[in-house]
Parts: sequence; structure tokens; C-alpha cells
Amino acid sequence: MDIEDFGIPRDPVIEHYKKDVDRTLIRENLKLSVEERLVKLEEHLEFAEELRRAGKRARATPS
Amino acid sequence: MTRFGRILQVLVDHDVDFILIGGVAATAHGAARLTQDIDVVYSRERENLERLAAALAPYEPYPRGAPPGLPFLWDAETLAHGLNFTLVTTLGAIDLLGEVTGGGSYEDLRPHTLLLDVFSVRCRVLDLPRLIEVKRAAGRPKDFEAIAELEAILSVRE
Repeated sequence: MDIEDFGIPRDPVIEHYKKDVDRTLIRENLKLSVEERLVKLEEHLEFAEELRRAGKRARATPS
Repeated sequence: MTRFGRILQVLVDHDVDFILIGGVAATAHGAARLTQDIDVVYSRERENLERLAAALAPYEPYPRGAPPGLPFLWDAETLAHGLNFTLVTTLGAIDLLGEVTGGGSYEDLRPHTLLLDVFSVRCRVLDLPRLIEVKRAAGRPKDFEAIAELEAILSVRE
């Protein structure tokens, strides 16, 4: 299916950005259930938060 | 960190009429991009405002980014007098939208939704073509990559 199949015209700006979309990540996500995708999102955010905390600790510690 | 599943459970448990949109809806459709808040369009019917206020009250909603100590009262009256609310709660960040640019109200969007069974509840999520249209209508350059990904999902998933 294509965006135009839904009556939405192509946008040249978006077409430009589309070239850089990593479709392998999309294909992997589409193998998961919706719940698995949302759980993965929460896990990634938790990981990002832990990295932020670690960065803060590192900046506060004299080297 | 925003507890997406718990927020959905809380809203459904209180029979709130809402539609999941934005980045979490994009994730549900298969997007790989990260998002930190949950965006929902809610029905402005008076009874729904009461249910929404009751649902989130235990989680201390407060305007996100506002200085502490403002006289912010969380109830149906506040919801009735406003439209779109960007909030922080003890469950995380949630945007409550009475209307969205290019999409309109809950009633306008409802025909363009799918029923999602997730975290032991059933809720409505905006379908992918409409989600793309709404994001396009917002016209924000920061959304360009996200829109491109959503359009790519359309072509990959079939």
C-alpha cells in the first residue's frame, strides 16, 4: 500500500526524508504484537533514563 | 518515565472515551522512534470530563513545565474551561487534547480508529492514514522524520 492509496497526496519534503527511514527496524517491530511494541518503548525509555542518571553522576564526580 | 500501559488501564477502567494518538499510537503501528509522553484526544461530553477527572485525580495532574505552587485545581470544571492540557502526573507525562489540528474532536476522529487490545484493556487508537494526516496538518518540521517513518510503515506492512 502507498500513501496515495488512502487519498493522501505525496509530499516532496516527506519523500526526501523517507529515503533515510530504516525499514529493517520497522520490519522487526511489525513482527511484534502491539503490547510487545509498547513494552519495548517503555524499556528503551527506562534505559535512556538510566543513561541520563549515569551521565549526571559522572559529571558530578571529579576525574 | 511515563508508564504508558498503566495510563491506558486507568483511563479504560474509568470508562473514559479517548483515542490514542501521537508517538505512542505510532509505536502501536510499528514505529521505532521513541516518545516520552502519551497523547490522547478525549470526548468533551460532560460525563466524560467527570470520568477523566476522576481517573487521573489520584495521580496528581499538574501543568507540565509550570512552576510549582500554582493554584491548579484538577476537576471536570477545569477540563470544561480548557481544551488541551499538557500535564505531568505520577504516571508520567500525558497530553489531553480536546481537539487536534487537522483532525478535529474525539467525535470527528472516532470513525478513523482501530480497537486495540493491549495491557488487558481495549482502547481506541487512531488508524495509520489518519495519524499521518494529523501529523502532516500540524506542519511541524520536527515531525517530518516521524511522518516519513509512518508512511514507510504503510508500504512495508502490506
